[in-house]
Amino acid sequence: MPDSKEMLDQTLLEMRRRCLSLAADLDRLDRAGKNGSDPRLRQIRDALAVLLESTPNRVERILLIFSDKTPPPPHGKK
Amino acid sequence: MKLIDPHIHCISRTTDDYQFMARCGVVAVSEPAFWAGFDRSSASSFADYFRHLTDVEPARAAHYGIQHYSWLCINAKEAENVPLAREVIRLIPPLLDHPRVLGIGEIGLNKNTANEIMIFEEQVDLAADHDQLILIHTPHLQDKHKGTAIIVNILKNDRRIDPQRILIDHCEEHTIRMAREAGFWCGLTIYPQSKLTPERGVDILEQFGPDRLCVNSASDWGESGPHTLIDTLLEYRRRGHAEQDAAEIFYNNPCRFFGQCPKWKAKAEIRNPKPE
Repeated sequence: MPDSKEMLDQTLLEMRRRCLSLAADLDRLDRAGKNGSDPRLRQIRDALAVLLESTPNRVERILLIFSDKTPPPPHGKK
Repeated sequence: MKLIDPHIHCISRTTDDYQFMARCGVVAVSEPAFWAGFDRSSASSFADYFRHLTDVEPARAAHYGIQHYSWLCINAKEAENVPLAREVIRLIPPLLDHPRVLGIGEIGLNKNTANEIMIFEEQVDLAADHDQLILIHTPHLQDKHKGTAIIVNILKNDRRIDPQRILIDHCEEHTIRMAREAGFWCGLTIYPQSKLTPERGVDILEQFGPDRLCVNSASDWGESGPHTLIDTLLEYRRRGHAEQDAAEIFYNNPCRFFGQCPKWKAKAEIRNPKPE
């Protein structure tokens, strides 16, 4: 297994590319007009906030941000 | 290394894909019944589809030296049409003895509706009544967590169900724990647009270990391809994991799960066993 320095050496450019890609997406959305109340964009902002945290399991927490939280429909064998 | 793609929709793939898989070492695949990208107009469409899965595709795969097996069901999306779903379910029992059919699948949920849940339960009954393995489809994107919880809850509370005979597919970071803790096999689908990337797939393999985990491409008519299985193997090797560990994940584990059906021929292979 590579250590964290080797891992960063290998992935830094790719991580930088992804940061810039998301920044460009947000800039493009801004240029297209105000859409701050769209709940999908709120989810994106919540997900970006998770990226800035220093606790583990970020992927799982971001997936849960994008998950339906309504209760299941009534079911059960008749 | 010999490889198995445990979930691929060959009906949607080209001969180039078969050639690619053969060149990369894929020796066997399994193809669950799924949604064709449009709702079919009648049960007779499914009768033809099942003939394609059981007879046409195995012959096509054999041309490239690949063993092809299949799973039969009404998929979760078309299960919303309950009368059609029940008509399709009635087609299945006579086909379960076909030498290429491994079980019932991929059954599950799509939008987590009451109709989908009802037909899911009826297909679990079908599998239990005929002692079949089950391959589970978990929903996409925002519906996955809720749908996986519903499915796991139903199966955990069914006394007829042996979790070791069920594979819950398309698991991700937020659903794999609930499936594994209940004792089910889990599938990781490397389908970057809507499921996992090779890197995230290997992250999960490293965190959970190879036990009861299979990796698949689920290649279909969407942006997907059999290369994602190979990309994941390459990422696993790139991180320095041993060849035997890779063989466990990409060949032996599918053999162990599918091998519970006597029709599956390939056997798990242990290389360089440790001396006692």
